[in-house]
Amino acid sequence: MNSSPSAAIDIHDLHVSYGRQRVLHGVDLSVAPGEFIAILGSSGCGKTTLLRTVAGFQKAAGGAIRLFGRDVVNMPPEKRGMAMMFQSYALWPHMTVMGNVGYGLRLRGVPKDEIRTRVAKILKMLNLSGLEDRKVTNLSGGQRQRVALGRALAIEPEILLLDEPLSNLDAKVRVQLRSELKSLQNQLGFTAIHVTHDREEAMTMADRIVVMDAGRIAQMGSPKEVFDRPNSPFVASFMGAENTIDLDVNPASKGIEVKADGAAATAWDGRAPPGRVTAYFRDDVASLVDPNARIDGSIVLPGTITQRTYPGGHYRYVVAIADRHFTVTDDDYHELDRPVGLRLPLASLHLFPTDPTKGGNHA
Amino acid sequence: MIGALFLYPLGYSLAAAFTEPGSGLTLMHFRKAYELYSTDILFTLFIVITSTLLTGLFAIIIAGILTLGETPWLVGALRQLYRWPLFIPFIVAAQCMRTFLAKNGLMNNSLVALGVMEPLQATSFLDWRGIIITFVWKQVPFVTLMLAGAMASIDRATIEAGRNLGASRLRVLIEIVLPQVSQTLLVGLVLSFVTMLSVLSVPMMVAGSQPTMLTVDMAFRINSYGDYATANALGVISYLIAGTVAWIYLRHNVKREVQA
Repeated sequence: MNSSPSAAIDIHDLHVSYGRQRVLHGVDLSVAPGEFIAILGSSGCGKTTLLRTVAGFQKAAGGAIRLFGRDVVNMPPEKRGMAMMFQSYALWPHMTVMGNVGYGLRLRGVPKDEIRTRVAKILKMLNLSGLEDRKVTNLSGGQRQRVALGRALAIEPEILLLDEPLSNLDAKVRVQLRSELKSLQNQLGFTAIHVTHDREEAMTMADRIVVMDAGRIAQMGSPKEVFDRPNSPFVASFMGAENTIDLDVNPASKGIEVKADGAAATAWDGRAPPGRVTAYFRDDVASLVDPNARIDGSIVLPGTITQRTYPGGHYRYVVAIADRHFTVTDDDYHELDRPVGLRLPLASLHLFPTDPTKGGNHA
Repeated sequence: MIGALFLYPLGYSLAAAFTEPGSGLTLMHFRKAYELYSTDILFTLFIVITSTLLTGLFAIIIAGILTLGETPWLVGALRQLYRWPLFIPFIVAAQCMRTFLAKNGLMNNSLVALGVMEPLQATSFLDWRGIIITFVWKQVPFVTLMLAGAMASIDRATIEAGRNLGASRLRVLIEIVLPQVSQTLLVGLVLSFVTMLSVLSVPMMVAGSQPTMLTVDMAFRINSYGDYATANALGVISYLIAGTVAWIYLRHNVKREVQA
């Protein structure tokens, strides 16, 4: 995305500090109108700080935030004209559903009758019709979060900020609200920034994912791009490739040759940094083969099965290779202590040069 | 202990207010109290109600700044300063106010020195205004302490949600923060009301002249005439005023519990 004035949100070199501690170290992000962005990261990575700075609740130490070309970095939150959903719902307990959802309209001087009709319309959209005069303290978690969404959408915002709004809900309601939110976004066309630590939530909802690490953007791209081609060990393991194995990459007559400790070398026509590399992979890319099998484009690590479970549909095995243990699923039944080969297709591994300062990498 | 030190004297005072030796039950002490002190009853009500309302207003302003303020030095200074009067007894506060509010007191002298006021315009505030100023000065920290604590414990996100939708800080204070702490405010004001109703030193030292508050009248009846009966009748009137406030508070409480 280029940072043209047509961007809904354009963040440039944003720095934020809490006292002396710097939390954001120069973040650049441009969000197109109507785009759904998920900011993903572990706790303390600065993702919530970034959102709160965009909303105006946190002062920036430097940099610019432009909304549709208008610089808001020094503007108080009430002048920024965006809506936000909070993790704790943040409904006003002394008001009814009507009072909560209609408050933004009341602030904008909309006449009472019109507020009633507009709120009724929104409640209908969110399947909350008939609850207008209910106290918000008498609602379930899912209903509360719907009211919070209604409150945010009532002012017809161009930008909606979501601060982990689904994390306090139970799994079923969460999945349901996730798709409701997404379809509302398609219907109404607002721009959304969604902060979450839930990878699946980010993957299913967002047009683009921003992975943050220690106050910086580690990678940004479409969900598929970030999932399939992580640009760093951090992103790889954050996106689920948490198993690691060290490999040697050497140039060969045709392409390259990849060798794992204690296994035969494999020729490969892919690309990898030469020398010692660390491969990151997810459980589901591994499969079980004969320990002596030689397969081009895959490395086969000899090991033994040490544990077997049946979670349903397939068996799950723990395979010991040297002193390491890997989990792998297989449709067939195998005896324990049986020697097997763990096949890893090289194309599905994320290879990064081994960081010599860290020694043996066990991410 | 409660029986011996509180209930017995209370019952005795009540009995003394409604009886006359030799003639049994009577309301004559109340008639006398009313004839002599009806102005003072109204004066007391006026002083205490006005002081309570002003205390509420200032406490809301200070607690509001402490909660919603964005000027660090102002919030810091206020947080340091506002509690001090809590530790000063009423009688010391009254003594300070005498020198501060007198015709040639510190306040007027400062105003004259600043050129805000001509020396001839200087008047003494040592009358009903002085009592109210002293009461408010003394009670604001107490109510603020309770109120700021309650405000600090409400979900901060409810404040941010209001501002996010476009509410100024003043509107957030009035429409979002205050309704959530109204219970605490009410308790603080009821306690302040009852406290101010029973203070003797302030009206005695700051104002002194007529009209004055019921506490002074009671002390006068006892010390000058040994007239316990009328003093007790005035005491019963004080009880009734305090009781009314307590009743308002309890009724409000019950209503909330029914709603919840």
